[in-house]
Formats: sequence, structure tokens, C-alpha cells
Amino acid sequence: MTSVNKTTLRNVAMFVGAAVLLLWTVFPFFWILLTSLKSPGDIISVPPKFLFTPTTDNYAALVLGEQRGQYASTRPDFPRFFLNSIIISVGAVALSVAAGIPAAYALARFNFPFKNALAFTFMSFRFVPFLAFVIPLYLLYQQIGLYNTHGGLIFAYQLITLPFTIWMLRSFFQEIPTEIQEAAKIDGCSWFGVLTKVILPLSMPGIAVTVILGFIFCWNAFNYPLMLAGRQTFPVTVGAIQFISYEQVLWGQMAAATIVAALPQLLLSLMVQKYIVRGLTMGAVR
Amino acid sequence: MLPYLLLTPALVLLIGMLYPFGLGVYYSMTNYWLQYPNRFRFIWFDNYISLMGDDLFARALTFTLEFTVVAVTVQVGLGLAVALFLHARIPGRAVIRALMLLPLMIPPVITALMWKIMMASTNAGILNYMLSFIGVDPVNWFGSTQGAVVSILIIDTWGNLPFVSLILLGALQALPTEPYEAARVDGAGPVATLRYITLPLLAPYIILAITFRTMDSLRIFDVIYATTGGGPNDATTNLSIMALQYSFQWYQMGKGMAQAIVLLLLVVVASAILMRLWNRAAERTAQ
Repeated sequence: MTSVNKTTLRNVAMFVGAAVLLLWTVFPFFWILLTSLKSPGDIISVPPKFLFTPTTDNYAALVLGEQRGQYASTRPDFPRFFLNSIIISVGAVALSVAAGIPAAYALARFNFPFKNALAFTFMSFRFVPFLAFVIPLYLLYQQIGLYNTHGGLIFAYQLITLPFTIWMLRSFFQEIPTEIQEAAKIDGCSWFGVLTKVILPLSMPGIAVTVILGFIFCWNAFNYPLMLAGRQTFPVTVGAIQFISYEQVLWGQMAAATIVAALPQLLLSLMVQKYIVRGLTMGAVR
Repeated sequence: MLPYLLLTPALVLLIGMLYPFGLGVYYSMTNYWLQYPNRFRFIWFDNYISLMGDDLFARALTFTLEFTVVAVTVQVGLGLAVALFLHARIPGRAVIRALMLLPLMIPPVITALMWKIMMASTNAGILNYMLSFIGVDPVNWFGSTQGAVVSILIIDTWGNLPFVSLILLGALQALPTEPYEAARVDGAGPVATLRYITLPLLAPYIILAITFRTMDSLRIFDVIYATTGGGPNDATTNLSIMALQYSFQWYQMGKGMAQAIVLLLLVVVASAILMRLWNRAAERTAQ
């Protein structure tokens, strides 16, 4: 084989590989978007339709909560679920950042007994099976009235966000050269001054990334709210499976719900592209 | 004193989490059954002992371990392949890389529902329709025992392959260039370069990817719950699903909690082993 042919062959293989990878990644989104724009008849047609008259009925039903064949009391209230997701995620991230900034500062800049043991204790919660917490939390919440409340969920979500926030912020704080901190101290700054005038301003981008990723992880949470929330406090993740009932599966509306539930994530993740791997490994890979 | 003061808010939250956990450990040694609160009794390790003779538990444990081994192997293997592929100069690499973040960042339960729509068992399901072009008969994705296991593997892989690929791609792009130049001078072919230079240098990252994927696969819940619910015939019931059924369908909180603790121990042991491997690999590359 001549070298020209070899290069052509290689290019074709590369192109095919890239196309397959692209299709595998994007096709599900494309197909769900199509499904969300179909009428019930088009959804179950054999063979599946690529061309059809699009309808916005599914989205309208989602917003207005109109569904034929379902009792009002069992109707998924998607606008409320969306609002719940926002309330719980914002609350959980705010609490984690408030507690996480001083903790991360201590773990990044001070030496004290049990420092590493503490840091790893925080980290270990990232790997805990949720059921080990959700069973006792469920029983406890029933007793103290936190079951089916935003506050109860915000606390439970600390298992997701607090270890992540502390480790991420610590890794960002550690990147700030200690010389700057020492200079501030010579200028008469207390530890509080160092934190508020040096560390925080310099790590603002890192804090923003941590907040956005924390928000994404909260938004994605499914298992805690599944057990600890009720119809009034369901987030979108639990809300989306409400379209599967004993009577029927509302495919079109479920597709629309998945698009709406995933949309904030798609936009946010493009904003923090560069930091996603770092976030998912809690700062281990930069 | 100051660092402890700074840590106080986080520690309060930590203790707030440890308290219910301790309570759960205690419950795992009781016969707590929500429907019969009067019978509540401390029974030491009876729940754990009874699990040993439990057929469903043995199957759930086996499925948990088997799924983890297969899923991690597939995802890390394919992830490495994709990373190497993207590391070569591929048309549209930046676009593919950006798009690969999307499956990673959307909620796993939403991923499951998307695939549930595509995996409808009739020919109305787009996946079966596409497979029909290459001569595959309609697959009963969630209705057959084998189909259900494969479905969950596919869905989990779609959502997590990018995680492995992106870690390894990032690592590849940060590798030193000198060893490669030396290898070229020595006349090493692409296979030898991969085997003796790239893979050893990537080892810590590969182990890191294995660690994270193992932890998540052992605990996989959302995808199974939203698709098969553990069926058919308990074929996809792992320890999470089983513990959930015991505690929230039959309200046997004590037994459910004991199963959750077994899963926790499994995760702890796996993480201890993998962390040790990671440290060793990191030391070796640092040398």
C-alpha cells in the first residue's frame, strides 16, 4: 500500500470514529427533543417517525399541569417541582459554602492535629451509600417534622455538597501563593483580614466554579428527595418519574420534562467546562 | 485553637450527619418494623446473620459485585480508547469534547428516562428500529433478565464514559514529551510506545478513574430504580435496591439498614484497596 493510501485510510477511519462518537453522545438528546414535540400517536408509531407535525402540547401540559386521564390529585405539578429544585439547590449550596469557606481556609492554611484525618472524614461522605443515611433520616424527619420540607432536604443535601465544597475550595485556596498572605500579615492583617482581603478576592473564580458545580450536583440528586420529600417538595428529578403511573406512561410529557430538567445543567456545564473533571474528582485532578 | 473555630460550622453539620448514621447502625441491630413498633427489640447481629442464609441477598450481593466489575472494565476500557482517539488530532475534537460533558452533567435519573423512551420494546422504540437495519430482532430491553442487565450497563456507560475519557484525555495532554522523543529515536512503534510509555504514565489516572467508577457502580441506584426497579425476577436487584425494598416497601427498617451497612462496608473495603493502589502508582510515576 502506498503511503498516500495509508493516510487516506487513516483519515477515513478517524472521520468515521468521530462521527460514531458524536452520534452516540448527541443522538439521545436529539431523539428526546423530537419525542417531546410529538403527539401521542406519533410517539407510538411503527416505524418511528423522524418527520411529523411538531406540537407544543407536551410542554403546555407540563406548564399548565393539564393531563387527560389523571386525577387532579395525582397530577405532576412540574412548575412547582422546578421551583423546589431551585429552592433546595440554592439553599444547600449556600449552607455548604458558608460552612465550607472557613473550613477550607483552615484545612488549606493551618497546621493542627487531626487535620488530614478530618479532611478525609469530610471526603469519605462523598462515597457513602445514600441508604445508610436516608433510612435513619427518614425515621428522624418523621418524628421532628422535617419530612417533606425544604429545610430537611437542604440538610440532607449537605452529604452531597459539603464534602465537595470543602475539598474544592481547599484546592483553590492552596493555589494562592503563601507569599501574598505573608505580605498581608506584615501589613497588619489578622487571619480574618487575610481571608476577606486576600484569599476570597483571589479565589473568586474558584468559588464561582464551586457554587455552579455544587448547584449542578444538587439539581441531579434523586435518591434523597425520593425518600425524604413529598408531593409538595419534589424536585424535578423525582418529578420526572411521576409521569410513569399504573395507568399509563406519558411518554411525550416525560420527554418534555427530561428536557426541562436537563436544560439548566446543559447551560451551566458549558459555563464551567474547564473545571468539570476537577469538580467530579473533588479537586484531585486539575 | 483558631483552625478548630473555623471548622466549627462544618463540624456541626458533620455531627448532624453522624448522628442519624449512628442511629442507623443501632437500628441495624434491632428488629425495627414500622408496622409493628411495639415489638421493637435489640437483637444484636441477628439481622446480619439472617442475611447470610438469605437467597435474595446472595443474588443481590453477586449482582452488585458482578455489575461493578463489568461496568468498570467496560467504562475504563472504552474510556481509555476514546481518550487516546481524541488525543490524536481528530476532526472536531473541541466540539466532541464539549458535547461529551453533557451526558455527564445531566441527572442520572433523567439519563435513565431518556433511554427508557429509546428502549421501548416494540419497533416503536428507536433503538430496536435502528438495530433492525443490521438484522437484529427486537430486543425486550427491560422485560427479559439479560436484556435488563445489558440495558442498565448501556445507560450507565452512556452517562459515565465521558468521565473516564475526560480524566484520561486531560492526563494525556499533560504528559511530558521527552519519553516520546526518546522512543522515536529508539525506533519504537506506536504499540510499544503505548505499552511502555503512555500506559505506565497514565497509571495513576487510570486507577483514579477506576476508584471513582467502582464507588459509583457499587452504589448504583437511580438508573435501576427508574428503569427496571430491580426486576424482572430480581435480575437487576443490587444491594441498594434490596435495602430500599426492605425499608420502604415492607418497612422492615432494621433489616434494610443492615443491608445498607453491608454495602457501606463493601464500599469502605474497595476504597481502601484502591486508594492504596493509587498511592503506589502515583509514587512510581513520581520517581
